[in-house]
Amino acid sequence: MPRIHFKTTDRYYEFPDGDEVNILRVSIRADCGLPWKCASGNCGTDRMVIEQGAENLDPPRRRERERLGDLLDQGYRLACQTYARGDVTVAWDPDQVGLDEESRAGQRLKAKWLGAADGD
Amino acid sequence: MAELMSPQELRVALEEAFSGTMAKDASFSRAWATGKLHKHHFVHWATNHYHYVGPFGDYLGLMYANTPDHARDAKDFLLQNMYEEELSDDRHTDLLIRFAEACGGTRQYVQDRRNATPFTKGLQGWMYHVSGTKSFVVSSAALIVGLESQVPSIYRTQYPTLINKYGFSEWEAEFFDLHITSDEIHGERGYQIVLKYADTPQLQQECIDIVREAADMRFAYTKALYEAYVEPDLGPWVEEEALAAASLAEPEKVLVG
Ligand code: FES
Repeated sequence: MPRIHFKTTDRYYEFPDGDEVNILRVSIRADCGLPWKCASGNCGTDRMVIEQGAENLDPPRRRERERLGDLLDQGYRLACQTYARGDVTVAWDPDQVGLDEESRAGQRLKAKWLGAADGD
Repeated sequence: MAELMSPQELRVALEEAFSGTMAKDASFSRAWATGKLHKHHFVHWATNHYHYVGPFGDYLGLMYANTPDHARDAKDFLLQNMYEEELSDDRHTDLLIRFAEACGGTRQYVQDRRNATPFTKGLQGWMYHVSGTKSFVVSSAALIVGLESQVPSIYRTQYPTLINKYGFSEWEAEFFDLHITSDEIHGERGYQIVLKYADTPQLQQECIDIVREAADMRFAYTKALYEAYVEPDLGPWVEEEALAAASLAEPEKVLVG
């Protein structure tokens, strides 16, 4: 059975041959400790370095490419956006937070509220 | 008397409850995945889907109000899910309308309730009913496990077809790509709520029953789309023919329009 090794917490998740699993989903299911926030490729909180098995992952799609930029070339992926179909080892900084100090979501909300206040 | 299932046993029972009637296997979904649809069919799909998922914030808000304070993790999940639907990025219904517009539809047409089928209105009403009147455990089983958690399995087949066969851009089809991944996580969180809070055999059985009911509702809604909009153009859906045609088809993009 293929196995995902969550190296930072030293946890494992095994899944049946032929299945493809979302890495963040199985981390949540099996309590493997990957940090996350938005689950939609926005915040980057769940970025992880692929230490082994990058060939067993599906290719990054638009949101992940845009969010990670150069980090993709350095071996990073976003767990919420990534599916695995074979053995993989991933690691992360346990203290990591989102990629933007002020997230795009925060900027959007601020613009909305300030815009409303201006209009009053 | 029924015994309390372990979380592992309950997860399997919930998965089995909807595995026989998954919307990905309904005629409209199969016609979509095998490249049979035309752009005007997608406009109808987007319109009906809008009236099914458009009030998702409302459903979640009702569930939030029905969730007791001691289940703070469930309340927070519902609030976060609501925020992600509406505010964290592009509003999800706007992505749906973007797709409809790429198919030649208009925002006005999509938002007009008169353009949805009675099955769609029935599904919407059922969701208001469940979210407004049932325990948060049961409504999570229905809306999150029974309906939302099916989404990745549907769109993981349909999204590549939209890009590779129907020729949509990633931007036009962003609604689907976004939901493949976000609903993986929402679905998993939904399971966790049900596994944690369905703490009597009766409540567990109620959750299993309503997951089955949710799957039936979504299947009927999806099948009705084929009958209302596609069957007049392509005739009744016959799976074998579609599979044979798909295996013979040239690999280039099909014409849509
Ligand atoms: S959790 Fe925010 S990008 Fe994956």
